[in-house]
Amino acid sequence: MSQPAIRILVVDDESAIRRALRPPLLELGFQVAEASRGEEALQLLRAGAYDAVLLDINMPGIGGIETLRRIRSFAPRLPILMLTVRDQEEDKVQALDLGADDYVTKPFSTRELIARIRSAVRRVRAPVRSEDAPIEIGEIRLEPVKRSVTKRGELVHLTRKEFDILHCLMIRAGRVVTYARLLTAVWGADCREEVEYLRTFVRQLRKKIEDDPSNPLYLLTDVYVGYRFADAQMFQDPDAALEEGLPARTPEIALEPAPEEAS
Amino acid sequence: MAIQAAGTRGAFDASFWRASLKPARNREVGVWLAGTYIPARFAFGARRARGSGLRSLLFALECALGIVAVILVAAFAHWSGWLLPVAVVLYLLIVVPTALLCGFWQAVIVSLSAVVVHSYLTSRQLQFNPAADPANSVTLVVFVLVALVVSRLSARVTGHAKEAESWGGQMHDLYEFTRRTLQMNLHVEPGPQLAELVHEIFALEAVAVFDADLHDVYQAGLWDADPQEVAQNVYYFETSDDDPATGLGRRVVRLGSVPVGSLVVRGETSPLTNNAIASLIAITFDRYRAFANESRIETERRTEQLRATVLDSLAHAYKTPLTAIRAASTGLGEMGRLSPGQADLVALIDEQTDLLNDLTNRLLTTARLDAGEVAIHAVPVGVGSLIEEVVAGLRERLASMKVLIDLPDDDLVVCCDHQLMVMLLTQYVDNACKYSIFGTTVTIRVTHANAEAIFSVHSYGPVIPMSDRERIFDRYFRSSTYSNRAAGTGIGLSVAKRVALIHGGYVWVTSDEIEGTTFFAAIPAPALKRCS
Repeated sequence: MSQPAIRILVVDDESAIRRALRPPLLELGFQVAEASRGEEALQLLRAGAYDAVLLDINMPGIGGIETLRRIRSFAPRLPILMLTVRDQEEDKVQALDLGADDYVTKPFSTRELIARIRSAVRRVRAPVRSEDAPIEIGEIRLEPVKRSVTKRGELVHLTRKEFDILHCLMIRAGRVVTYARLLTAVWGADCREEVEYLRTFVRQLRKKIEDDPSNPLYLLTDVYVGYRFADAQMFQDPDAALEEGLPARTPEIALEPAPEEAS
Repeated sequence: MAIQAAGTRGAFDASFWRASLKPARNREVGVWLAGTYIPARFAFGARRARGSGLRSLLFALECALGIVAVILVAAFAHWSGWLLPVAVVLYLLIVVPTALLCGFWQAVIVSLSAVVVHSYLTSRQLQFNPAADPANSVTLVVFVLVALVVSRLSARVTGHAKEAESWGGQMHDLYEFTRRTLQMNLHVEPGPQLAELVHEIFALEAVAVFDADLHDVYQAGLWDADPQEVAQNVYYFETSDDDPATGLGRRVVRLGSVPVGSLVVRGETSPLTNNAIASLIAITFDRYRAFANESRIETERRTEQLRATVLDSLAHAYKTPLTAIRAASTGLGEMGRLSPGQADLVALIDEQTDLLNDLTNRLLTTARLDAGEVAIHAVPVGVGSLIEEVVAGLRERLASMKVLIDLPDDDLVVCCDHQLMVMLLTQYVDNACKYSIFGTTVTIRVTHANAEAIFSVHSYGPVIPMSDRERIFDRYFRSSTYSNRAAGTGIGLSVAKRVALIHGGYVWVTSDEIEGTTFFAAIPAPALKRCS
């Protein structure tokens, strides 16, 4: 790989989990630092540069959420992945709303974790692109300027709200967008509780853009948390995906350069 | 407290008290009007002790006193030479108090004696000639009539006062009984205490109370024969009556219209009092049951909570080792360089960790549902999206299955806790996958009927025996047909049931060789249609 090694800070109070993560991460070319508490993590982050943080939510001391808040105050773009457990949906949503990039639910597989880390780091390292740049993920292409969506080159007729939802999800492809965030973005802050509204529209959207709406490929549900548009990497050449240690049906971001960059 | 003070004599006192209300006994009125209860009862008690001969003597004495008073007044009037009208007023002054204090007949005798004495005295005066002075005769007749009327009226007033006092006494007894039953110790069975209380407060000769629920007869007082059979017969044949000949009062103790026991009393009570006692006994029985129930529920709740807490902390304690094992095993796989055999073993560790995690999650959910910690967050949810989410969650498992989703009413909206409903349906679909015959179709259907959304998951698999169809929803129960076929713990369906119950719904299952097995969950869904 031409890119420099990814430096990861693993923050978890359980030494068993840190011990289990260290060897495979090192083996796969990551540089690993460890912290057992939020306070320690903050010190390390201030002292040195890291590419990503794995942050446990449940920790003694200031805890994961507060640590996240403090990290965000001085490192707004540092990719942070939360390590959570099931039944902590509210914590997940809170962490995402506070700026966490993603979360993995314990017990997670190392493969999934690494894929998520790489994806988060790649997003940060990707060149900043214009809001109006067309987005192409898999067979779906969305052109914000023309407000049009095509699938395999064929125009998909979407209502205004459907388009807004899709746009909101596609510009954040690969990341979870919480219900509240999506609702606020499309309907405004007054509607942040109307999750059922959203479900209705997402169902309609799936009927229009998915080949099999009950087994969606693009518009994915993060149960109890929000929706996620599939990462562009998911639709990349499978061999490259394997090389990156990602699930077979995987990846490379296929963003068109923004018009001004192209020119 | 008057009754308690009467102590063992209570029975004797009160029974006489009631009996003595009927005959005239005017002298005690003064005592009663004084407003004190105990002296009056003792006074009557004392009177009873001297028997009915005394009553005649008293009657004679009252009459004699009246007559003496009349003679004195007549003599005084005669000596003073007063005219008849003046004398008549004086006679009335004697007759009216006699009527008030002693009674009608005493007043009649006194007024007649006044006529006789007055006539006798005047007849000795030479100037007195009734024939020559008819006014005197008329005056005498009028006096007699007025005396009679006044006596009658006053006797009636006195009678009413007595009746009111009698009622007052009975009300007092009932009040006392109510008060004491309210203070009763409900930790022990109420029957013996009730029998004693009725016996003591209403001063009855004997009391028997039958508690149908505990099937026991409790008695107080002196019964000649064992009242068990009588009391039970009253309950079984529902006979409520009063027998003046034997002094027995029988009542079925009912709660609403449901008989819950019986009451048999012997002694002086009124039918109405017996009814009231029976009602109070019924209420006490009910309070006892409610109290016992409440204590039982509270104990159960505490046990359940403790168990749930233990489960919860266990499940949480499992999470860390599980995470470390999974991270380690999948990490091994990621690091590569494993021989096929090693890779297989690593995959096995991974797979089993998954199973263990699944089990832990379910235990955690059950524990929380049991402890009532799961707050229901009901929002309108479209059944379509609900089913889609369930199917999406089980995608891997359903990959090798044929699944048919049948939603006749695609727009149906149910007000429910989204998360819990997904859990319920996931359980149903997961079950269907586990137990269905390979190659058959699993059908997920939602219909709307009678303001209920009925979710059903149908599959072809082993028939669930009739005897297991209720118990299959109990925790840790596994049907004998199932237990050897697939992995499971007997927790999932109990979670499904609890979820349905939390929503005010219910679950059931039908199973037969030809029709297959269908798990149902009915959730209240008043006609809510999506408005968008």
